[in-house]
Amino acid sequence: MLELYQNNPAVQAAVQGGLVPFVVAVIVAAVLNRSRFMWLAIVAGYAAQVALATGFSFSPLSASRKILLLALLAPLVGIAADMVAARARSTGHVTAALAGAAAVWVFITILGQKEGSQAWIAGAGIALFAFAMTALLVSLRDDALRTGAAALGLGLATGITALMSASVGFMTSGIAVAASAGALLLVWVVNSRPVAPGLLGTLTIGVMIALFSEGSLMLAKLPWYALVSLLLVPIAVRLPAPASASVFARTFVLCLYALVAALIPIAAVWFAPGG
Amino acid sequence: MLKSLSAVALLALPIAAFAATDNYTVDPLHSSVNFTVDHLGLTNIYGRFTKFSAKYSMDKAAKSGAMEASVDTASVDTNENDKGSRARSRDEHLRSADFFNAAEFPKMTYKSTKVNFSGDNPSTVEGTLTLLGVTHPVTFKFDRFKCNPASGTSKERCGGVVSGVVKRSDFGMKRGVPNIGDDIAIVIAFEGDKD
Repeated sequence: MLELYQNNPAVQAAVQGGLVPFVVAVIVAAVLNRSRFMWLAIVAGYAAQVALATGFSFSPLSASRKILLLALLAPLVGIAADMVAARARSTGHVTAALAGAAAVWVFITILGQKEGSQAWIAGAGIALFAFAMTALLVSLRDDALRTGAAALGLGLATGITALMSASVGFMTSGIAVAASAGALLLVWVVNSRPVAPGLLGTLTIGVMIALFSEGSLMLAKLPWYALVSLLLVPIAVRLPAPASASVFARTFVLCLYALVAALIPIAAVWFAPGG
Repeated sequence: MLKSLSAVALLALPIAAFAATDNYTVDPLHSSVNFTVDHLGLTNIYGRFTKFSAKYSMDKAAKSGAMEASVDTASVDTNENDKGSRARSRDEHLRSADFFNAAEFPKMTYKSTKVNFSGDNPSTVEGTLTLLGVTHPVTFKFDRFKCNPASGTSKERCGGVVSGVVKRSDFGMKRGVPNIGDDIAIVIAFEGDKD
C-alpha cells in the first residue's frame, strides 16, 4: 500500500488532497462538535494537504505562499469578526472588500509585469471576483447546510478546473476544501445538528476558493470566464430546499444544486479554445 | 624619480590586467541550456530552455573569468507541448506555479563569483543561481573548453560544455519530489564570439 502511494502520483494526489484532509476534518469536526469552531475543520484539512504536499514555507513570499498565509489567517479574522460585529449589516461587505484587497496584494508582482491597462483590468477583475465570492459566501453565514454544500461544490470545481489548467497544487487545495466540507456535512447528517458557520466558516471558504481559483488564472491556464462561472455555485445553493425535511434530505438537495452548478466552470474549461 | 616611476607602474598594472580580459557574447544558435530529471526511478526526462542569453569573460594570463546568464523560464521545453487528449501538456504544467512559476518569476539567472583554472583552461565556475526568487550557490564543472583563433574576418570564438547538479527543493520547487527527482542535472553547451 505504501509502495503504491510512493510510486503513483495520482494516488499521492488523491491521498494528499482528498483522503487525509477528509479524515483530519472529521476528527476536528468531531472534537469541536456543536461549536462554531468545528468550521476550523476546513482550514485543518487544507493545512494537512499542504503539510503532505510541499510543507510550510513563507520565504520568499511568492503569490502561492501569500495564498497559503491568507488561507491560514482567514479563520482568525473570521473569529474576530464574529466576536466584534457578526450581526452588523456592513460586516459582510467589509470582510469581502478586505478579501478583494488581499487578492490584489497576492498577485501584485504578476500584475506589475503586465503592460499598461492590462494590469489595471486584471487587478480590478481579481479584486472584484474575490469580493463577489466572499460576499456571496458570507451572506450564507447563518446557514450551515447551504455553506457546506457550496464549499463542496466550489472545492470540487476549483480543484478540477485547476487540474485542467495545469496546476496540481491548486487542484489538491480545492479538493481538500471539498473533502473537508464533505466531512462536516457527514457529521451533521449523522448527528442532525448543523452549526451555522458565521464569518469563521464563510470567510475562510470565500478567501480560500477565491485565491485558489485566481491562482489557477494568474499562475496557470484557467480561462477568466471559467473563474467567473464559479460564482454560480454559491448562487445555486440559494435555491429552495424543503425546510421540514431531514438534514440528510436537505443536504442531498443542496449538494445536488452545488454539484450541478459546479459542472458549468468545469465545462467552460473543457470546451475552452485549446482546452 | 624612482618612486614616481614605481607608482606609475603600479597604477598601470590593473589597466594591463583589464586590457587582457576578453569578453564574449554567447551565440544562441550554437548554444543550449539542457537539463535531466529522474522520473519515478524508471527513466530520465530530458528538457531544455529555448530562450536565454549569456556573456562571459576570460583572462587566461591572469587565470580569471566571469560568467552571467539569464534564462526565460517560460521557454522550458521537454518535447511535450502537445497536450493531445489530456487537459494540459507537461510543458504547460512545468510553466505553472507547481514548478517554474513563469508568470511570477519569468527569469532564472546565474552569476559567477569565481572561475577556477586547471593549467591554461577553466576547470570550474562557482556562482549563484537565482530561481523562484531564491539565490543559491551552484558550481559548474567545465567538461571541455577551447578557443579557435581569429582568422580573416572571423573573430576569435571560444566554446565549451559545463555541467552541474542542483537540488530543486533548495529553490522551493518541491512539487512531486521524489517521484519527479529532486536532483536536476544541468548541461550547458556554449559558443561565443569575442566582442
